[in-house]
Amino acid sequence: MNEGRIGIAGGTVMLALLLLAGAAVPLLSEFQPNELVAIPFQPPSRDYWFGTDQLGRDVFTRVFAAVYRDLGVAFLGVTIPLVLGTAIGILLSLATSRIVTALTGSLIDAINALPLLVLAIALIALFGPGLKSIVIVLAMTNWARYARIARTRASVVARMAYIEAARLQGYPWHRILLRHFVPNVSAETLAYALSDFILVIMLISGLSFLSLGAAPPTAEWGVMMSEGRPFVLNAWWMTIFPGIALCWAGIGLSFIAEGMSRRERGAGE
Amino acid sequence: MATDDQQAARGAFLRRSLGRLARATGVALWVMVIAFGLIRIAPGDPVIALLGAEAPPAAIEKMRRDLRLDVDPATQFVEYTWGMLHGRLGTSIETRRDVADIIAESLPVTLGIIAVTLVLALAMAVPLALLIATRRSPIVPYVFRATTSVMLAIPTFFTALIGLILFGLHWRIAPIIGYEPGFPGNLRFLWLPALVICTHLVPVLSRVLHASLVQTRGEEFVETGIIRGVSRLRFAWFYLLKPSLAPSIVLLSYMVGVMIGSTVIIETIFSLPGIGRSLVGAVINRDYPLVQGIVLVFGLFVVAVSLAGDLLANWLDPRVGAA
Amino acid sequence: MSLLDIADLTIGIPRGRATPLVIVENASLRLQPGEMLGLIGESGSGKTMLCRSLIGTLRRRGAAILSGRITLAGTDLAHTDEHAWRDIRGRRVGYVPQSALAGPNPVMTIAAQLREAILQGTPGTDVPARARELLDLVQIRRPERVLDQYPHQLSGGMRQRVMIACAIAGTPELLVADEPTTGLDVTVQAGIMQLLRDIRARLGTAIILVSHDLALVDDVCDRILVMHAGACVESVPANAAPRHPYTIALNRSRIELAEPGAPLLTIAGQPPSVGDWPPGCRFAARCSIAQPDCGLGPHPPLRGEAHANACLHPERAA
Repeated sequence: MNEGRIGIAGGTVMLALLLLAGAAVPLLSEFQPNELVAIPFQPPSRDYWFGTDQLGRDVFTRVFAAVYRDLGVAFLGVTIPLVLGTAIGILLSLATSRIVTALTGSLIDAINALPLLVLAIALIALFGPGLKSIVIVLAMTNWARYARIARTRASVVARMAYIEAARLQGYPWHRILLRHFVPNVSAETLAYALSDFILVIMLISGLSFLSLGAAPPTAEWGVMMSEGRPFVLNAWWMTIFPGIALCWAGIGLSFIAEGMSRRERGAGE
Repeated sequence: MATDDQQAARGAFLRRSLGRLARATGVALWVMVIAFGLIRIAPGDPVIALLGAEAPPAAIEKMRRDLRLDVDPATQFVEYTWGMLHGRLGTSIETRRDVADIIAESLPVTLGIIAVTLVLALAMAVPLALLIATRRSPIVPYVFRATTSVMLAIPTFFTALIGLILFGLHWRIAPIIGYEPGFPGNLRFLWLPALVICTHLVPVLSRVLHASLVQTRGEEFVETGIIRGVSRLRFAWFYLLKPSLAPSIVLLSYMVGVMIGSTVIIETIFSLPGIGRSLVGAVINRDYPLVQGIVLVFGLFVVAVSLAGDLLANWLDPRVGAA
Repeated sequence: MSLLDIADLTIGIPRGRATPLVIVENASLRLQPGEMLGLIGESGSGKTMLCRSLIGTLRRRGAAILSGRITLAGTDLAHTDEHAWRDIRGRRVGYVPQSALAGPNPVMTIAAQLREAILQGTPGTDVPARARELLDLVQIRRPERVLDQYPHQLSGGMRQRVMIACAIAGTPELLVADEPTTGLDVTVQAGIMQLLRDIRARLGTAIILVSHDLALVDDVCDRILVMHAGACVESVPANAAPRHPYTIALNRSRIELAEPGAPLLTIAGQPPSVGDWPPGCRFAARCSIAQPDCGLGPHPPLRGEAHANACLHPERAA
């Protein structure tokens, strides 16, 4: 219980600090993210806190300029599948035909069986690299995870007594759907979305790291790490600082997700 | 009466296994459809995307024929399935080589990474979970949960880079490039990549195992094990680990899919000639037949592993599926 | 000489520098060879902990014997180390676990579990022959059908018979059965009770039968020991009328004694929880004949020989 609260508070503080820095640094910094400000490969110093990269850009400014890009794309990459999957899951739970249930069920299983990264990479071959493609690809694939959770939950809800009561009282079906199914089911898909957020952040930066996501010179953590990779022994700061920012975001989210699940379990006991 | 019971139980087990097999077959069919559909759902014309709009019409026509995009989709699917059953997965656009050959060449590397990872992960996660589950200190599980959630939030490609810097460049105890096929020579190249994947696998695995161990520890039958004075080793296996393993086995078979995802990035970073690196190369070159073949092989592999995991869990713990 | 002699036994959970959390206080009981004793109490009365002290598994639950003696035919069980317990468990004290559902090991066949029990109980025996003999003793017909099955494939009653077979594998002098019929049907319960009686008759084993249901053990036991909130309140021979208000109340709340139409009697209130015991008699707050002096001093001890009672005012109890 207490542990849950510490996790949520700690994680929220970590994320808030990152978001604050992401808003403040690009405004306050004297450099632009893509501005060539100094000679390349300068180690961290008083003028360039995180050093400069192979083109002489300020790594500090770039790391924080990427905050809203990385987290924003991840937000889209989570919410679109969340909404799609929840809706599809609820609708599928209402299907009465056994053939439809079996077919859609195994389709969802099949999409979930394919490793997300593999499927994402394969689809990017079709749509071309880019952050927009990643969001499209996530919408096309990741809904299946939410749909599975939503369908299981919705069929439990459907068997609950109060649904039967509402139906017998003659409430219109859309009202039953909105009042009972959606809140009940989305509580569960939202809980998954929180842990999914971490995976999606890693996926976005990972794809960019493989040159399949954001393209240089975009200030994006995965791109920056991939640019720093050839120089990692001599200019470690190019890779390490974006990496730390990425981990910071992930750890913050992970503490929140962990805290939530502990709190839920504590409440259940 | 007892015979009936026994036969019923055996029948139920068989029915469950068959049902599981039928479901896996359904999923495998969909995997085939998805892999087949990949090229066909591309926005625009994949051939023009490949060759460019200025390519001579004859070349475009030829490629269309080579990719069998000139016949109707139903025929294409039948041909594709027929070919697949005979081990033909098409020809790579990039290298003009048989896709099945390319996969057969690079698959052992990837399987090697996964095998070494599994061995390392089990060797670390099982003792760790046992150690934590048998301590009574309240602070240890707390530290364990905090540490594992931090580890899970660090992307493997970052860990891989750090590992490469430390072990490869700084201490020079891991090769940073190259590969030597065949056991045990390949171990020299595989231990570090496997260790990197373990930074995600060990936390997940030890958490699930720890949770089941804690549950088992509190169960009544543990008392009977003490009464019977069984040896420490026998007690640890039959009264603690074996009753707790089923959820971890199922998780592990699921995690194989996640690990395959990781190998794509890890192979690229460590320059290992595995199937994941072939996939990245194929995508960058828009080598559709190769992409399609790799997706298919990965998908079928995951389906097979998860089926095996379910059956293994059932065999280890007869309660699974009986409930 | 009595087989088992427990005197002033106090069990609790040590809490570092703080005073230990006492679960059983000054419990005393004597058991003759071949005697069948019913141990009755609500959950939290300390009966399970008392059982665990007899098989040496207190430490596993974080508990320990704080004071008092346990003597089993001359052997001191209160100060036995883990090594010496190996010669006692299964050979001199048998144990039937609480629930038929969770008692047997789910991942071992019946044959494997019997084998372990037999090897512990009587090392060096012919295991298959002894297994058959034991299954026969617990009245399982056609043992060969049961042997290679897993517990979940058997009915609850069958499972508990197997557990009893395991418990008597070493022909112990004392058998501890901790609520052995939890979760079983009434008819199956009666069968298990009858089986325990038969075993006592055939092997001369003394049995401690723990239950929260007075009606269940009343018929089969020679004597009933009643516990309430960690203390023994009455030790009553099977055919005698109870004299402690708690036992009287328990006896009255038995369903089959209730007159048709009359309201079913229940005992008011909850027993005080562990760590929260009031001074004096711990039943006083729920007792209809409580006097002012009931709430004073330590919990009253059992007094009397054949029929011992801890009530300070037995003359007022009807």
